[in-house]
Amino acid sequence: MNTAVFANTLPATLRLDQCRKGATVRVTGLIEQPLFGTQDERVSLRLKELGFLPGAPLKVIGFGLLGSDPLAVQVNGTKFALRRAEAAKICVEPIDNPSL
Amino acid sequence: MSTPIRFALIGNPNCGKTSLFNRLTGARAKVANYPGVTVERRSGMVTGLAKPAELLDLPGTYSLFVTSPDEQVARDVILGQLPGERRPDLLIAVIDACNLRLGLRLVMELKSLNRPMILALNQMDEAKRRGISINTAALAQAIGIPIIETVAVNSQGVAELRKVLDGYAQQPATPAGEQVLALSDRQESVEALYAEIESIISQHVIQPAHLPRWQDRLDSLVMHPLLGLVVLFSILLVIFQAVFAWASPVVDLIDAGFSGLGGLVGAVLPDGVLKDFIVDGLIAGVGGVLVFLPQIIILFFFILVLEDTGYLTRAAFLLDRPMRGLGLSGRSFIPLLSSFACAVPGIMATRTIADPRERFITIMVAPLMTCSARLPVYALIIAAFIPEQTVWGFFNLQGLTLFALYFAGVASAALIAWIMRRRASGREEFPLLLELPTYRWPMAYHLLMGLRERAWIFIRRVGTIILALSIVLWFLATFPGAPADATLPAIDYSFAGQLGHFMQPLFAPLGFNWQMCIALIPAMGAREVAVSALATVYAVGEESIDVALGSALAASWSLPVAYAYLAWFVYAPQCISTIAVVKRETNSIKATTFFTIYLFALAYFAAWATYQIASAIVG
Repeated sequence: MNTAVFANTLPATLRLDQCRKGATVRVTGLIEQPLFGTQDERVSLRLKELGFLPGAPLKVIGFGLLGSDPLAVQVNGTKFALRRAEAAKICVEPIDNPSL
Repeated sequence: MSTPIRFALIGNPNCGKTSLFNRLTGARAKVANYPGVTVERRSGMVTGLAKPAELLDLPGTYSLFVTSPDEQVARDVILGQLPGERRPDLLIAVIDACNLRLGLRLVMELKSLNRPMILALNQMDEAKRRGISINTAALAQAIGIPIIETVAVNSQGVAELRKVLDGYAQQPATPAGEQVLALSDRQESVEALYAEIESIISQHVIQPAHLPRWQDRLDSLVMHPLLGLVVLFSILLVIFQAVFAWASPVVDLIDAGFSGLGGLVGAVLPDGVLKDFIVDGLIAGVGGVLVFLPQIIILFFFILVLEDTGYLTRAAFLLDRPMRGLGLSGRSFIPLLSSFACAVPGIMATRTIADPRERFITIMVAPLMTCSARLPVYALIIAAFIPEQTVWGFFNLQGLTLFALYFAGVASAALIAWIMRRRASGREEFPLLLELPTYRWPMAYHLLMGLRERAWIFIRRVGTIILALSIVLWFLATFPGAPADATLPAIDYSFAGQLGHFMQPLFAPLGFNWQMCIALIPAMGAREVAVSALATVYAVGEESIDVALGSALAASWSLPVAYAYLAWFVYAPQCISTIAVVKRETNSIKATTFFTIYLFALAYFAAWATYQIASAIVG
């Protein structure tokens, strides 16, 4: 089952874990995260099921205490807490916020 | 007699499933476990139907492609793959109208199973308030499933749902053991499914672009890295203050009630064994434990409120990073908080943790959160030995001691979790992926039902295990009676006395006397019984237990001994129910043995160290 939607892996690709608080972005795809090992495919599937799909608008609403981890995001009107490891799987592009 | 038809409620976490369940069954739920697993199984008969029909409340799930033990149960029941569990005849999919996409996604997945299904569109009132407008009839047509609008807070819509269920209840139930469904490989991709949902939503639903502003404002305070922690610790402080201070009038009332009852019965009955048995064995034993029902209820009240409002997941978010250093995560916070009331529901709540290693560590340290059963033991000894004085201006020394005991438990848990994690480094990570539900006003009916359930579980425990232990203990402490030429107190000659003397050498390095050893035995059944056990061995009963026993202890224990006894109770004894639930949760004799031994060893060491150090200081 092919679950990972590989985005273009150009160095310019922005990942969710690199975004600042308040950033409004759009999901472009999911990439692999070696930290999850064999779980990775399952994590990708769950992320997609929760709505982290290409085109979905996403807003970074806050960070946890240390090392801005975990982070809270809002996607399709629902809020989620993600760790940086998960956030690093999500490729995004800024929308109407070029200064990001 | 045919088996009743079976309905099952299925939906995302936080969609209001359980409130709907309470409405439909009149909250006459049978709470048990699914066969072979410890995921809580709630079932009840639907009220007001012509034919009997059973309703099952399945654990919340986002998907049939599961990631945690409780999601797995939901899936297995629906598919008829859980041995010993009949597959439901009708699925009632519950969707939060304020969170349509996630709910509809699960429904579309369920639809592909081709099972009879209806859809309850819950929280319709809240959706309207937020300006969400749903063309229900068109939506039902688009997805091909009948939809009933419901509001879980009141009976609105529930009556209609009941009418629909009444129609289904006329049909015969599927015979048991038939048709196990297999989950086909996902034919449609998630993307295609969502595309379909988007098109349905865009046609039949009008949604405002934003959540109500106060929701976001509240989140920016509550989830702020620093202010959020201030809020969290303030809430925890209020909870503990409430548990200890607000409960005391009710506790005193119950205590006085049982003392009065004991006096009354004592006055009526003739002197003799029967009177001793009823007054000292039954009334004092059960009363001594029932007194802290108020504390349990207050603690669970707060946990339920925080859970219902959606706050608990925010707390989990804030604490995720600090807890990760200990091999835990934000998800462990809720089980550990529940463990302050009782480790049993706390350990059961670990089923929402996907990472098996993290779940194991959480189970192992959960009993170090000081449960409410230890409170009477602490309260008794603190009142007897710690002077009621103020230190550093405004701290009450007794309160401070209590805090130190709680803190000792938490600090030990952190240390042990850290050690366990170090031994298991270099493995795969698991995601956090926690939904932060929108804030909601807690529902009084739902709260009341939750509390009633908790109170009932506790009362049943008092009526069974604790009652039995009280009787056994009284018997051991009373027989055989003292010989006619006895020079020592009668209990010295009893079975309990003999047992205590037998155990005493083992506990001598801790400074424990034989009376204390006796109390350790029933405390394994239920920790709180240590208090009534001490009352029995020190032969105080009828009057107010706390005061009389306190002065008896103060007269016979030295201060280091009292400290050592407190230290013992920080770690052990783990009650039988806790050990049993650990066995069921881990499903491993090795893990359970490890759990039991490590905590006893820790208790022994802590009590020994406390006794030696305190003796050296006091001199």
